[in-house]
Amino acid sequence: MNLRLFAAEELKIALRSRWTQIFAVVFAILASGVAAAGYVISGGHGVQDFARTSASLVHLVVLIVPLVSLMLGVLSLSLERGAAEVVFALPVSRRTILLGRLLGLFAALALAQSFGFGLAGLLVYSQSGPEGIGDFVIVLGASFVATAVFLALAAFLSADAFGRRRTRALALALVAWVVGEVFIDLAALGLATLLPSGAASRVLILASLLNPIGALRTGALLLVEGTGAFGAASLALLRFTHGPAGATTLIACSLLAWTLVPAFWAGRRLERTDI
Amino acid sequence: MISFRGFGKTYGKQQAVRNLDLNVRAGEVVALLGPNGSGKTTSLKAAAGLVKPTTGVVLVGNPGQPSSEPDARRCLSFLPQRVAFQDSLSGQEVLNFHRQIRGVDAAHAAAALGVASLNGAVARAVSTYSGGMLQRLGLAVALLPDAPVFLLDEPTAALDPDGLEAFYKVIAKSRADGRAVLFTSHQMGDAERLADRFAILVDGVLVADIAGREMKDRLAERGNMRLRVPSLDASTLAGLRVMAPDAVFTDGELVVRGPAGMRPRVIELILARGHQIVDLVAEDGRLDDLYREMVGPQREPR
Ligand SMILES: Nc1ncnc2c1ncn2[C@@H]1O[C@H](COP(=O)(O)OP(=O)(O)OP(=O)(O)O)[C@@H](O)[C@H]1O
Ligand SMILES: [Mg+2]
Repeated sequence: MNLRLFAAEELKIALRSRWTQIFAVVFAILASGVAAAGYVISGGHGVQDFARTSASLVHLVVLIVPLVSLMLGVLSLSLERGAAEVVFALPVSRRTILLGRLLGLFAALALAQSFGFGLAGLLVYSQSGPEGIGDFVIVLGASFVATAVFLALAAFLSADAFGRRRTRALALALVAWVVGEVFIDLAALGLATLLPSGAASRVLILASLLNPIGALRTGALLLVEGTGAFGAASLALLRFTHGPAGATTLIACSLLAWTLVPAFWAGRRLERTDI
Repeated sequence: MISFRGFGKTYGKQQAVRNLDLNVRAGEVVALLGPNGSGKTTSLKAAAGLVKPTTGVVLVGNPGQPSSEPDARRCLSFLPQRVAFQDSLSGQEVLNFHRQIRGVDAAHAAAALGVASLNGAVARAVSTYSGGMLQRLGLAVALLPDAPVFLLDEPTAALDPDGLEAFYKVIAKSRADGRAVLFTSHQMGDAERLADRFAILVDGVLVADIAGREMKDRLAERGNMRLRVPSLDASTLAGLRVMAPDAVFTDGELVVRGPAGMRPRVIELILARGHQIVDLVAEDGRLDDLYREMVGPQREPR
């Protein structure tokens, strides 16, 4: 009951937020752009179908959704001190409040993404029909997973961020994004060139499994494209798991852990914070 | 209803409150006074379950439960010092949300809103509210659930005279309804008007816990009587100083400090010695002065 109230309230607030609205529009433009790109590049003859659009969309999702989830998550969850004092003095546990608000934020971001995917989907459908639409839905699913993972991380970062400490949480979120997006992959590749091939491939496997952004990218591409367009790291992962099924399972476990563990620690940290 | 038992709170190295023992019973209104940074907000937040005690416990309700338990907080309403709400919501939406969380019916919510008398502003976004309007909304939210325990941190700081009057009525009614009210204020007028008991914190230590009646006596003892007396001979002044040792006479004005009961005798003595009294003003001691006496010399907030 309380959970639902907090979720509904947060959804309402998030949908009114300029940031969510801007995200929805920008995401719709980018997704439609990706969908139209292939069509335009091929001179209007070749048609960018759902399958090819989906593969390109994976990269867009993996780049933008973590950033937006982190930023919007921290901005919304880290309340002004006076507002936090009102909310946390209510007869509702801090974990319930946090979970409710996370669910509301998730719903808002999922709606915004569905809006973008919907527009892009209509565009593709009008050009090339429904073929490969399953892949498109998978990418939307991956986008939801990314939202869940990075909202949980945002919750962890903002668990003790009230008033002035918000800025710090926001900065940490940005750092986390840069690290996940470029730093880990670069570091792993650099390290791999220095190591003997066995150890090198283990490093690459770890980088694409333990880094949620790498795991998302690998997992989504695996489901959408199969193994055709894989890079070194993903191929090493496939060899390690003896095929796509094992790889998918491991990636799913990694992402589930990346959602549940930060969310759990966020609740714990929030319970222990003075407000 | 509110019970601090050996409550202490340390932030890092800063000891905000030390070993506080304080009880507020049902039907009792207690003013928590003290200089800036003396630990009033910290104590109230601990009672609201927002701050974890470093030592001791804070119990609320009857039977008392630690306020860190969500269920225990059912019995309390807390108005923070700088109350705030989500900017994009309207006042009405804020109230609706709290009404649902607290399981209060709509008629009751309307009554709480009436006290705040925000009128047209309830439909506007909270981000457009003035400081006093926010405080009124905060008060309305605090009044919603009919909670038996009120914790109000400087509830009058931003109120206009009408708001103040409405607030005084609310507190009077709360007392009559048997609520336990603990509030802080820097306005001695609030304290004098509302409080049944005065608790004074200085540097996190409770230096005084005085019942209203006792406070009245102490104030009466610190009363002043000013008399315009054209002339006064030395032996009369000496006679007066037997009753009131620090009586002073300058420029035709005689100032006699002391309890009200002494005043008729002072007047009698002056008249009996054949002096004239042209004018007379008597006043009780001021809470501000007594407060300053108890708090000690002014110091910088820590
Ligand atoms: N979150 C915090 N972190 C560190 N120190 C704090 C914190 N909150 C309060 N303090 C310190 O604890 C002491 C008591 O603060 P508190 O807010 O309880 O004072 P107060 O009596 O309410 O003052 P005021 O009259 O100005 O509202 C102060 O020295 C303050 O600096
Ligand atoms: Mg204070």
